[in-house]
Amino acid sequence: MDTQNVHSVRGIRGVRGDTAQVSFDVIKYALLVFCALVCVLPFVIIISGSFTDNSTILREGYSILPRNFTMNAYETIFKAPQDIIQAYKMTFYYTILGTALGLLMITLTAYVISRKEFKYRNTVSFLIYFTSIFGGGLVPWFLMYATVLGLKGSTVAIWFPALMSPFLVIIMRTFITGSVPEPITESAKIDGAGHVTIFARIILPVIGPGLATVGLFLALGYWNDWYRSSMFSTNSDTWELQFYLYNMLNATQALRQMSQNTSISTGDLPTQSVKLAMAVIATGPVLLFYPFVQKYFISGITVGSVKG
Amino acid sequence: MKKESMNGKREQKLRLVCLILAACLMLAALAACGSGAQNTGTATTEAAATTAAAAATTAAAATEAATTAAATTAPAETTAAAASGGGAAANGERVDLVFYVMGDPPKDEKVVEDAVNAKLLEKLNATVDFQFSTWTDYQQKYANELTSGSADLIYIANWLNYGLMANAGAFLELDDLLTEYAPELKAIADEGMLNMCRVGGELYAIPNLWPEYVPIGIDYREDLRVKYNLPRPDSIENAEAYFLGIKQNEPDQPILRVTTEESQGLSQAFDAASILNIKYPWSMTNGLPYGLSSDYSTPTQISDYWNSQDFIDDCKLLKRWADYGFWSKSALSDTNDVDSYKNGLCVALVAGQNPNKHITNIKDFSELHPDWKSEYIAYGEITGSIYPGHATQNGTSIVRASKHPERAMQVLNYFMTDEEMNRLVQAGIEGTHYSLTDGIYKNLSSENPAPFPYEGFNSWNLRVTEFKLIQESDLVLNEMFKVYDELAQKTKFPNVNIAGGFSENYEDFQAERTAVTNIMRQYLAPLQAGLVDDVDAAVAEFLRQVNAAGLETCREHFKEQWIAYCTEYGYQ
Repeated sequence: MDTQNVHSVRGIRGVRGDTAQVSFDVIKYALLVFCALVCVLPFVIIISGSFTDNSTILREGYSILPRNFTMNAYETIFKAPQDIIQAYKMTFYYTILGTALGLLMITLTAYVISRKEFKYRNTVSFLIYFTSIFGGGLVPWFLMYATVLGLKGSTVAIWFPALMSPFLVIIMRTFITGSVPEPITESAKIDGAGHVTIFARIILPVIGPGLATVGLFLALGYWNDWYRSSMFSTNSDTWELQFYLYNMLNATQALRQMSQNTSISTGDLPTQSVKLAMAVIATGPVLLFYPFVQKYFISGITVGSVKG
Repeated sequence: MKKESMNGKREQKLRLVCLILAACLMLAALAACGSGAQNTGTATTEAAATTAAAAATTAAAATEAATTAAATTAPAETTAAAASGGGAAANGERVDLVFYVMGDPPKDEKVVEDAVNAKLLEKLNATVDFQFSTWTDYQQKYANELTSGSADLIYIANWLNYGLMANAGAFLELDDLLTEYAPELKAIADEGMLNMCRVGGELYAIPNLWPEYVPIGIDYREDLRVKYNLPRPDSIENAEAYFLGIKQNEPDQPILRVTTEESQGLSQAFDAASILNIKYPWSMTNGLPYGLSSDYSTPTQISDYWNSQDFIDDCKLLKRWADYGFWSKSALSDTNDVDSYKNGLCVALVAGQNPNKHITNIKDFSELHPDWKSEYIAYGEITGSIYPGHATQNGTSIVRASKHPERAMQVLNYFMTDEEMNRLVQAGIEGTHYSLTDGIYKNLSSENPAPFPYEGFNSWNLRVTEFKLIQESDLVLNEMFKVYDELAQKTKFPNVNIAGGFSENYEDFQAERTAVTNIMRQYLAPLQAGLVDDVDAAVAEFLRQVNAAGLETCREHFKEQWIAYCTEYGYQ
């Protein structure tokens, strides 16, 4: 097929397909704009609400731009910021420790089950995969950590359970098999390299994008987690940030309900705009961080898929 | 060539179809979010309750052996205690107990715990670690706690399904322990209150010893009433005149902020209907579930409210109020706003109120609008159906798996019968956390929340009348309680909240119950919110739907359980 032919093909298609193409584009963009708005609007409203006077929110509802602009909510929070700073510290601690340890364990596991000379790699892979389909359920899970391992109240219970996930191990394995061809490791082996050398000097340097992806998944998982604090923390000093916020909302609701049946004080509950300001403070760092690693995140989603 | 272009076109069409499908899917998902959201709340709570009960059974079975072992060692320890006169030395080795309570920990948890433990070690050679459920997933965690059995003492309440849990064997029988290890506590505990904590004849919990009244009522703007010379809203007619008077004088002033949120039960579906409690001496707030009703003085004589003329008349009344514009046309989808009253978004609150909330309102008004005035009328004052909170509203149990039940009972005894100790647990350290001026409690911190607020351990279950420190707000509250107490003495069951100890076991008719709840939301809520054109037709339609949903099954089960409950406790 020569160049002219190709052009003529395009020409024919252009005439017949124009309307279809345009309507396709319209629907496509409308849909994407709609999706983007659905994602962005709530956040804009949260930010605007956090700068709005509380009684204005009550009287007039939420708006895209703040009415009666005020920093009151942030002042209230930063008057006694120890709690939120402590929660921040703990979340950083869990995120960094969990991500580092998790990456190490996931990569090592993935390396082992990606090696052809490991006879039981398929069995082990299957066992790992199996746990992602069949779990014990909540109560045994809780009893395992709380009673059998005795980790209730310990910070270990918060980072330990999420170190590895079958999904990430499988992504990593696929990535290793895909990016390091068998002959390279083979030749290294012939030259006398052991597994440690192969892993550290041949595998590690080329799986950077894979590490970034899995690391990001892990880090986001840790940053967004609240459930393990809820289940295992016995001391508010060990709370994760998200739990601190989530619990604050729950407390407001629970105390309100409770106060119907018994005399308890409900005077100290946070106002609407304080809650919104808390949400902004909690999401802040992730928002700043996200654009820089987003490209890995997107490439990471295709890591597990077939590559040309 | 042509084929290729046809292929391209087909491909494009296919893509278009895909896109449209995707769009439809997303819209459907969004729509589902909207309607589903309301249901999830109750559903999860209910699910949690059921798992809890189930979990408790397993726990009971698993730990029975442990308890038997504990029970056999108990007498040995008693003899030792008796021999040395009950001093510290009597209590053998040191025991570390866990006291599981609800809610969030105070900042100074450690400080107060250390002070408490210093005393406990000296007197009972024991320590107590308060562990908090937090307010996130507390139903689930409460159940986990009972299953794993790591706690010794635990907070109980009817809203945590005390009755069902006790039946499932989650708690230890306390009669003997109380007699043996907590004679002082037994002496001050009211026999009637203890009886309310009995399940199947066995005592599983020690109630708090501070009778409180939480009668639902109407909180209203007294200053507006005086200003326009309107009647007190102490009957349906007067309430109507009061609302209407304000509406006529200040057309822009919203009257009520009512939604569906306080009415998530099985009796009413819209908050404004709460005001009906002002004309019926119902045995349970809002009447019995499933549209049944019975009077406080004759709880077992059940009548069918939904099929009565009263129900139609009440719906017509609410429709009239809606037409007057007492609440917004979007009331069904509004969210409940706790701050609306203090911000002037309504002139009265008719649902979900109680004397303690009234006190909070007075406080808010004095801060924000010194010229406003709030008054409270409990519906029970008018109907005579008034009673204190049920004994199982706040109580303490010992978990069946506890390894040291006798020591736990001794600790509880110490907490509730020693003035100094009780005040330490309930209010923290005098001079550090609070001060007493003329016998009135005042927190010493201006932080919010305070390092150790009043009842900072959320130990509402350890309230004892003689030791309870009086806060400034309690002065008004106590005045109100006095009035209620006098009225309550004159009822057929003096000072007994007959409905408070009842917990429905709906395992056998869960499906019908859920269906009825859904129909109530769908048909009864607009009916009670006055958003229908023809009340008679709407009532007929509602009844048809709710019957089809299995109302009769629910009613039969409920009646059976309710009558059995009333018979067991002698409320006839």
